[in-house]
Amino acid sequence: MTPILVAIPLLLCLGGALCAALHAHGGVSRRASVVVWGWILAGWSAAATGVLAWIGWGPGGVLESGVIARASWSWVPAWDLCFSLRVDGLGLLMGLLVCGVGSLVMGYAGHYFSKKAGAWRFLLYMMLFQVSMLGVVLAGDLLTLFIFWELTSITSFLLIAYDTRDPKARRGALKALVVTGGGGVALFIGLLVIAWMVGGTDLDLVLSSGELVRGHDLYGVALGLVALGAFTKSAQVPFQGWLPDGMTAPTPASAYLHSATMVKAGVFLLARLHPALGHTAEWFWLLTSIGLVTMLHGGITGLRARDLKALLAASTIGQLGALTMLVGQGTATSFKALTVGLLAHGMYKSALFMVVGIVDHETGTRDLGRLGGLARAMPATLAIAILAGLSMAGLPPLFGYLAKDALVVSAAQASGVPSWATWAIVGSVVVAGAMIAAQAGILVWDTFLARPRSERAEDGVHPHDPPWGMLIGPGVPAVLGIIGAVVALPTASHLAASAGSAAFGSPVDVTLKFWKGFDATKALGVIAMVGALVVFLARRPLGRLIPRPPEVLFPGVMGAVDLAAYAVTRLQNGQLHRYLLVMFAAMAGLIVWRGLPPWPGLDRAGWEAPWPVLRVAGCVLAAGSALAVVFLKRDLFAILALGASGLGVSMLFLIQPAPDVALVMIVADVLTMVILVLALLRVPAWFRRQADRLDQVESPWAFRRDGVVAVLAGAGFAFLALFLTLDHPRESAVSPWYLQHSKTAVSASDVVAGILVDFRALDTLIEITVFALAGAGVYSLLRHASPAAGDRETIAARDTGSLLHTPLLRMLAQGILPLAIAVAATHIMYGHAQPGDGFTAGVILCLTVAFRHVVLGYERSRRSKPWLRPLRLVGAGLGLAIASATIAFLVNGSFFSHVNFGESLGIPLPRDVALTTSLLFDAAIAVAVMGGGTLVINTLSGPKGDAAVGEGGHAWKS
Amino acid sequence: MTNDRLIAHLVLVPLVAPLAAAAFGVLVLSRRPRAMARLALLAVAAGVAAIAAVIVHIAATGEPIVIHVGGWQAPFGINLVADHLGAVMTLMAQSVMVGGILYASRCKDRCVTYAVFYPMMLTLAAGLAGGMLTGDLFNFFVFAELVMISGTVLTACSDNRRGIEAAYKYFYISLIAATSLLVACGCLYAAYGTLNIADLSRSIASRPDAPLAGIALALLLVSFSIKSAAVPFHFWQPDFHTTAPTAVSAMLSSVVVKLGVYGLIRLTTALFPHDESLGGLLVMMGVMGVAVGGLGAAGTHDLKRMLAYSTLAQIGFILVAIGWGSPAALAAAIVFTFNHAFVKSSLLMLAGLVASRTSVKSASFGAITGVGRSVPAAGVLFLIGGMALMGLPPTNGFISKLGVLRAGVGAGEWAVLAALGVGSLITMVYVTRAFQRVWWQERPEDAPTTSPTRDSILAPALLITATVALGVAPDTLLRFASHAAEFLAEPGNYIKASLGGGEP
Repeated sequence: MTPILVAIPLLLCLGGALCAALHAHGGVSRRASVVVWGWILAGWSAAATGVLAWIGWGPGGVLESGVIARASWSWVPAWDLCFSLRVDGLGLLMGLLVCGVGSLVMGYAGHYFSKKAGAWRFLLYMMLFQVSMLGVVLAGDLLTLFIFWELTSITSFLLIAYDTRDPKARRGALKALVVTGGGGVALFIGLLVIAWMVGGTDLDLVLSSGELVRGHDLYGVALGLVALGAFTKSAQVPFQGWLPDGMTAPTPASAYLHSATMVKAGVFLLARLHPALGHTAEWFWLLTSIGLVTMLHGGITGLRARDLKALLAASTIGQLGALTMLVGQGTATSFKALTVGLLAHGMYKSALFMVVGIVDHETGTRDLGRLGGLARAMPATLAIAILAGLSMAGLPPLFGYLAKDALVVSAAQASGVPSWATWAIVGSVVVAGAMIAAQAGILVWDTFLARPRSERAEDGVHPHDPPWGMLIGPGVPAVLGIIGAVVALPTASHLAASAGSAAFGSPVDVTLKFWKGFDATKALGVIAMVGALVVFLARRPLGRLIPRPPEVLFPGVMGAVDLAAYAVTRLQNGQLHRYLLVMFAAMAGLIVWRGLPPWPGLDRAGWEAPWPVLRVAGCVLAAGSALAVVFLKRDLFAILALGASGLGVSMLFLIQPAPDVALVMIVADVLTMVILVLALLRVPAWFRRQADRLDQVESPWAFRRDGVVAVLAGAGFAFLALFLTLDHPRESAVSPWYLQHSKTAVSASDVVAGILVDFRALDTLIEITVFALAGAGVYSLLRHASPAAGDRETIAARDTGSLLHTPLLRMLAQGILPLAIAVAATHIMYGHAQPGDGFTAGVILCLTVAFRHVVLGYERSRRSKPWLRPLRLVGAGLGLAIASATIAFLVNGSFFSHVNFGESLGIPLPRDVALTTSLLFDAAIAVAVMGGGTLVINTLSGPKGDAAVGEGGHAWKS
Repeated sequence: MTNDRLIAHLVLVPLVAPLAAAAFGVLVLSRRPRAMARLALLAVAAGVAAIAAVIVHIAATGEPIVIHVGGWQAPFGINLVADHLGAVMTLMAQSVMVGGILYASRCKDRCVTYAVFYPMMLTLAAGLAGGMLTGDLFNFFVFAELVMISGTVLTACSDNRRGIEAAYKYFYISLIAATSLLVACGCLYAAYGTLNIADLSRSIASRPDAPLAGIALALLLVSFSIKSAAVPFHFWQPDFHTTAPTAVSAMLSSVVVKLGVYGLIRLTTALFPHDESLGGLLVMMGVMGVAVGGLGAAGTHDLKRMLAYSTLAQIGFILVAIGWGSPAALAAAIVFTFNHAFVKSSLLMLAGLVASRTSVKSASFGAITGVGRSVPAAGVLFLIGGMALMGLPPTNGFISKLGVLRAGVGAGEWAVLAALGVGSLITMVYVTRAFQRVWWQERPEDAPTTSPTRDSILAPALLITATVALGVAPDTLLRFASHAAEFLAEPGNYIKASLGGGEP
């Protein structure tokens, strides 16, 4: 058997799916009706069935020789994942059901949707489901199986909510996806656990490692998780609720997914993994008890159903419970009963669903209270319903009888269990059997034979048998139910035996006979039938007696999620205050968790450093001004105090001595002050007062709390800073190298400049970009800060300046720019030799611009220097920086490297000036910094809405 | 110039090309947004191509590519180290950024026509690339600042007036991250006298109990956690999505958070690989993220905000895997990180696309209920993306989840696995509910009117295609991620690559 043959059924179904999608095309759907298309798709499925049959009965086939047909393709070699297919008896039986019933349902669905537009969507989903389901049953690898398993959940979700406008359909779909998807998660982990135990995901490996799995410590975990997946899928109690709600799916989908195939996936999975997981007490008790409860649940709740599909859903749940119980019993007899049951149920239940679909289609209702007396109008449908119904009731000579007989026999022969358990099982089987048989009776009798209880003529509905094409779907399985039982019994037995053996792990003997002589089990069958008759006759009072089954699980889960979600979203209340509190607390927690370092002592506090008085003065200035910032009432004074604090710090730097750092600190400090004052002008005074009041008066508690947090955070950082200074090992690995190389390698006697512009040029490039972007950020942030909102007190024109009319100042302002440029140029030229660098130069230029704005007034200042466009400057600066780095790359093959043009070209230059890429870069820094700073200053000092931050009024708009 | 040198300089392209394009853009194209968009696309695409070439080279030789910027040998100069991790993260960031710029260039937002919009997107891309490639901790800080400031400005320039509030919050919280990182740099420099990551790795290993090392670790953790929106440092993440421009929020929630993830991986593999309690802490934070993110997503009233919350949960998965730290877990974390970027960016774009159909341009469920019925194609894409979020095949989300769960089973972490399972279940709840509400439910009578135009579906469609492609054929990525994890498992590999064999 060639591997590719195994994949062909799957490919055929996939081809069918593509074919279904074609019907979305207007050209196709105009030429071919939905009916035709349905039958074409049925053809694809039938072909797949045929190929499967060939795999089974053909020469060297699965049934012929007992071999297992395998095909495997390496999918993810990195993780040893394979895409594997594997056909054994069990896979074959399920595959035939999937494709066979699929074929019939597709033909039926075409008729069902014959008058509906957009039915291609349904056909597509159905075919995709078929691919998924076939993948599940033919999978030869745990992961392959799981992938298809999840796809069945998704396609089922889409089918249940096919009528997306119906809220009930949407709810049903959600429920089905959440329940089966949740089980899927459990199954996923469970399968991974098994794979981890046996060392691979290949199914052959797993099935042959039963001893290992059962003996493993984690056996219970694996079993529980896999069972959870199977139970949710197969609608076992307490997860059964999604199946009745899923009946909002169009009836063809219900007939296919929710009776014949998908809900069987759980039972199939358990049977599939039985050789690995079964044969233990846990297995027996878990599956048997859940199955038993489910069986009874289905039997009882079906009696109160007034909707035909609800009735069928209930009986399906009951049957699934019985099947689960059979898997749980884990004997040869029970697996015989299982496979026969799978076949029988697949046939009669799909037929009955399709019959219900016809009834619904013809009468427009599925309500038992309004149906009845259809026998005369729909004789052919009735015939099919009777055949299938008798099979469901388990009466000879139909296939259903064989299934029920096997079930009873298996129940009675449960081995190795206490006798009370056997009694309980047998009793339950008889009771549930009676009720399910009664349900079959209700379905057929009340729909077709009972007298109609309301007058349908008023609705103007005249039901009649559907076109013959629509009868093929239900007719074939119904008839097969009797042919299979009477004529093709050996074939069916052969198939069932092979499937049972595959699931059981050792050969199962299936010889199906209608009469083997009278024994206790036959008596039980008779009791069940009598019981069924009684229940059927008492169906109305019984139906009223049975309460609606309580629905706990799904609403409970959803309620819990919603409740917890509410709590969680309350935390995210939009207030930065709270966020910061939580984050600071967590940060403090982390630091404490890592352990605070031991106090290093004050020995290295540097008492003996020179200039002690100046140092103390600097400290006092810095700390005192910082404190003043907090307590000063007037914002302007606070800003000035902030500036003073910064100057105190730069004083300390200067003493250190770190003149470079001090210089940068000073210019940055001044720029900050200027920007803050300009910003202050934009904020209306009443607005500031209001903010103060909000903070201090209206929420005094929060104000104090914030104060405490701020003090604690500040103290924490102060401690850290102190610690850094005191415990500093002072063994920089890199500083000596810089000191040694800056003069020789980059001709920088000023080491800081060498580091900034050469050794760590990349840092600097990005920092100036950040600085420039900050300028753009100020614009963006202020775009909506509207003074039109009514600042009654500050400057009316929102134009700074024009208050300082001194002629001297004006003259100075007019001429200051060239002067500043000259100063900046010297800073740049001697950047490598002395304190001062491109950044300082750029800030000096910014300050000059600010000075001009203040003195001359914004409008005039801008008009007189139209070339001073900050955004362009930013672009030019960055461009120049990258260009200089690229030039270096072109010259000596290293980006951002140091190239000394003066030296290599022999250009005579004054002392301490070098024509290098560093010089170019320093110039670029100056330009970019000037651009970024000017952007801020322009935005803050210009009138509102002056989009002309340098680009003539349109730059920021399209 | 030798071939090697040229290949080494390719590492610079994802960093320099966007910066150069940004400079050129503000200089020349400030009034021509369309040309600017094309230039931006070209620049970032060039970065993608370059980093892809680098990855091919790394995969072929197994050796990282290192370039010492300016020719200055690390740790004295700054070096860029494109090891497996850095390269694959950069590829992710740049590819998704291409999607973001493409979305912006075909959207209705007015803010994309501002002169600085695309330059900012470019600096964002450059910042991400630089941060993920640099071999120097302080340089990382600088690039992180670039990312922060670009993100802030891009958020602030939103058409929505309240974008400013969001930008302010983002900026403020990021500032705490930046400060923490800076102080951590100070601590590490004080303790070990160097800032090169490889050099630090070597020094910390030889002297792990330096008094300041613990504080540095805590502060680095805080900084990276804020950047990656790990609970309880996540607060900036949900708040700004409702107001930020779609193209921007799609980037911030998909790739920008990954800079923090990248930092965390470096933290656990290079800087503090021998710290025992760090892994457990990350796992705990991850589980918290899964819980808070999942529940928050289930409880919110806005599609974009929901997706932001879901980012917390997904990052939680990643943190858990990083915390486990085994090679398998680390590979899973890398794969998850890579895959999530495509999923989340496309989903946010789809949310923005739907919102652009409404007159109020809001993605709150009240406004977009039923809007999806008029854009069914977006529904198909959202469903696929949602499946990826839920971890369902055949999307890359399945692969991601498979990797993490596999690693967890291997490590026997049952309690954590249970939490992740519950988290997955909650994901199903909120994704499904949102999908049904937007694409299936009928539009209520009193809903705001819809607008006839909308953002283009091209960018999310491309990203979703990538999502599926990575789900169907994940082998290349997984193989590379496994190599990355093996490389990271031994800190010496990184040190050797970055600094060469000898002493500095």
